Order: sequence, then structure tokens, then C-alpha cells
Amino acid sequence: MRIPILKLGKYLLISIQVELDDQTAIQFQEDLLNRIHQEGSQGIVIDLTSVDMIDSYIAKVIGDVVKMSNLMGAKVVLTGIQPAVAITLVEMGVSLNEVHTALDLEQGLETLQQELEG
Amino acid sequence: MRTQPSVEVGTEWGIVSARQAGRELAKEVGFNNVDQARIATAISELARNIYLYTENGVIELEVVEKDALKGMKIIARDDGPGIENIRDVMEDGYSSSGGLGAGLPGVKRLLDEFDIESELGNGTVISTIKWLR
Amino acid sequence: MHSSVIDYIHQRKTHYITKWKEDLTQLVFQQEGLSDDLTEDITNEMIDLVFDGLFSEEHEQEERLRRFADRLSHYGLPLSDYIRGLQSMRQTVKSDLDAQYSEGQVAAFEAWLDELISKLVDAGAKTQERVIDLQNVALKEMSAPLIPVFDRISVMPLIGTIDTKRAQQIMENLLEGIIEFRTQVVLIDITGVPVVDTMVAQHIIKVSKAVGLVGSKCIIVGIRPEIAQTIVNLGIDLSKFSTTSNLKEGVETALAITQREITPLSTS
Repeated sequence: MRIPILKLGKYLLISIQVELDDQTAIQFQEDLLNRIHQEGSQGIVIDLTSVDMIDSYIAKVIGDVVKMSNLMGAKVVLTGIQPAVAITLVEMGVSLNEVHTALDLEQGLETLQQELEG
Repeated sequence: MRTQPSVEVGTEWGIVSARQAGRELAKEVGFNNVDQARIATAISELARNIYLYTENGVIELEVVEKDALKGMKIIARDDGPGIENIRDVMEDGYSSSGGLGAGLPGVKRLLDEFDIESELGNGTVISTIKWLR
Repeated sequence: MHSSVIDYIHQRKTHYITKWKEDLTQLVFQQEGLSDDLTEDITNEMIDLVFDGLFSEEHEQEERLRRFADRLSHYGLPLSDYIRGLQSMRQTVKSDLDAQYSEGQVAAFEAWLDELISKLVDAGAKTQERVIDLQNVALKEMSAPLIPVFDRISVMPLIGTIDTKRAQQIMENLLEGIIEFRTQVVLIDITGVPVVDTMVAQHIIKVSKAVGLVGSKCIIVGIRPEIAQTIVNLGIDLSKFSTTSNLKEGVETALAITQREITPLSTS
């Protein structure tokens, strides 16, 4: 299963709508990095509104994706993390340090704009 | 007391089916949204340990009642190599899989009761309970 | 207990009641603010409970004990006084029975009364448990509302002691409120939290991390001088978190984050 990556101007938009298994997560990591390379994207929004569970492994994959994208010169904003997901992550002691977040897609795009255009 | 059919964790898909079964049962028992996420996440961590370190293992789910309390019992059972240093794996930051190392201590924090028994060469049984608030 | 003993006690009922009531008025029922009628009423209920208890079915008796315990708790009357009352009843009846019946019969009566007392204690404990449950529910309901004050800015005042259970509840309320009101900045006001120890601080740190994950920012306001002192003395590091001493400054910071400010209207 592959997660679709949409292009919107200078940005890439990803809305994760499926239950994330390990294979899908890794595939997504590869796809996204290739796409950043192709498009020279500077900003990425990953929307997690439909994700109802993130365990430590998936959190690591997401954290890695953010770091790798940053290395390639693209800023990432995670949006729509559900309260229940946020609470479990914090209780487990998983912190997604220095990752930008926003409430929803709209505010995520605003955050990117502020970041990139100053 | 009712036992759900246990979920075999031999592949990565086993992890997904175990946590889906867990979430469904949690919903049925009456856990709220956040507790459902806690339970599903804990199962995911336990199932991943089985997948990573052993050939065979199961996640067993059970509805339990004690006095006026109702809860859900999650047992992870495998016949893997066993854990040599239980104290180490229960420490934050310890990881032998390259994950974030939040695995077992994280599971313990998400649930109410946590018990681990392991014998070298004979596998590990982790027994946990989440009580309905 | 032998039925002849029961009959005997029943025959002598009026005598016991008169005698017992004299003792009772000295022992108990001197709660302030209770009317004489009510006192009389509760006394009579207790007397009936004992004497009818000799003939009634077990489950019926339990139900009556439960109601009696509820009633005591409702008027704030201590159960111990009533147990002392029952002990005095034991004395009255026992001295009377001693003259008429064998030791065994008297012992049977005492055993029966002990059973009654322990049932009353049970009923009282259950009533207490129910009261505590209700209080917990009430506490849950009053725990920490999230109040939107400006567009995208909300305040959550915390009042009282924060334990783990309450911290979880607060976290859930807060995060769901953030989504509901699309809050970009939330001010957590801890002015009303009496003590901030390591555990409370850890709860606050967890809350602000979770707030960050859902895509909002958190400012902790209302840090009083003594709280600042304890936080530093305990070696708790809040430097990564935005904090202010009062709500007013917090609101200004929140407005700045959302790129707004309050300016006086120009007088023309």
C-alpha cells in the first residue's frame, strides 16, 4: 500500500488515511524523499488527522522522515495529531523534539509560509 | 470472564491485526477514546517485540472483572530466547532494536498493571491489565 | 436464637424501649441543629430496626439497614454513636435475659446483635463509598474548563491539588478543547494550585508536550514567587517552556504569538 503525495505549488501535501503498518511507513519515507529530490520542495505538510494510533516505532519513522527532509532542505509541519495520540505519545515518553506542528492543514500551510517567507 | 481468540504475531501484519482486535474489544468494554489509543498502542509495542525477537508468539485478549472493576487483560506470550536482563529492558532509553527505546517502560505507563516473566531459552510472558475508570 | 427467647424479648419490648430511650438520650442524638421530631423519628426507626429485625427476612433487614445508614449520612450523624446505642441495648436486654435463660441462649442473643451491628457497619461503609464516588464524579465535572478568551487563544485555570488521575482528566479536557476551539495558544493558569512539587511539575511538562504535539502552544502563567523558588530548588527545568508571572502578561505574549496586540483607541 502506498500513501499518495500531492503537490501544491512549492509544497507537498500528505494526508495519511490508512492504518500505518511498518512496511507502509518505510515505503512512505522512501517515496517522500524521492519526491522532495524531484520537485525541489521546500515545505511539506503531513496531516495525521485520521491516524488513531502511533507507537514508538512509527513515531521513530515519522521523526526520521522529518530529520531527513530537513537535511534535504525541506521544512516539515505535522498537522492534526489527535488528542488521544498526543497523550499516548507523551505517556510513553516519546517526544518528537523540534518538530513543527499545527492544528490542521490550513494552519500547517500558514506555519510553513511564515517559516519560509519570514 | 471471556477470552477472545488470540492473535498470532508472525508477520508485521500480525501487529496490525493484534492492535485492531485490541481496539475493538476496548471499545466494546466501554473504554473512552484515549484509553482505546493507550490499549492499541501498548498492544502494538508488545506485538512488535514478539515480531522482532521471536519466531512464534501470540497476543491474548480477555475481559476481566474484579470486585466492581471491569478491565481488559492483554497477555503477550512467546517461546523466544527469553530476556536476560529484565531490569535493563524496563529502563527508559534502553533499546536493542533501534527503536526509541520506549517499548516496555512505555507500555507499563500506558496500562495499570504490568507483570513480566521470562526464562532464558523458554520464552517470555508479559501480562498486563487496563482497568475501566 | 430460640423462638421462646424471641417471644420473650418481644413481650418485654415496651419495657426495653422505655429503658433504652433513657440511655440513648444521654448517649447520642444530641446533634446540634436537629429538631426534636427528627431525633425522635430516627430513634424510633432504629428501635424498629432492632425489634422487627427479630422477625424479618435477611434481605429485608439489609435493605432497611441500608436506608437507615443513608439517612444517618444525610443528616451528618456519626454511625459510632448509634453503635454505642446498640451496645447499651445489649446491656439492657442481656441483664434481663440472664435471670430467665441459660448462658447458651443469652450468647445466641448476643451473637445475633453482633451480627446486626456488623451489618450496620457494612451498610455505613457502603454509604460512605457511594458518597466518595459521587464526590469523585463531582470533582471530575468541575475539573478545569478550557475558556476561549480571544480568537485562537484560550485559558485554562487550574484550581486545587493535582494528582495523577486529575492530571489525566485535565489533559483530556484541554486537548479536546484545543481542537474544538481551534486554539493556537493556551494559557494554563496555576495561580490556584497550592503546591507545585516535582510530580505536579512533571504533569505540567507532560501537558505542555502534548499540547505541542496537537499543534498548539502553551504558556504557563501565575507562577508566584514561592512557586518559582520551589521549582528552582527542586531542580525542575522549565526553561524550555514559556512562563509568565501573571495572566495579563501571558495574554500579551499569546497575542504577540498570534501576531496581534492591544492598542488604545486613538482619540480624535
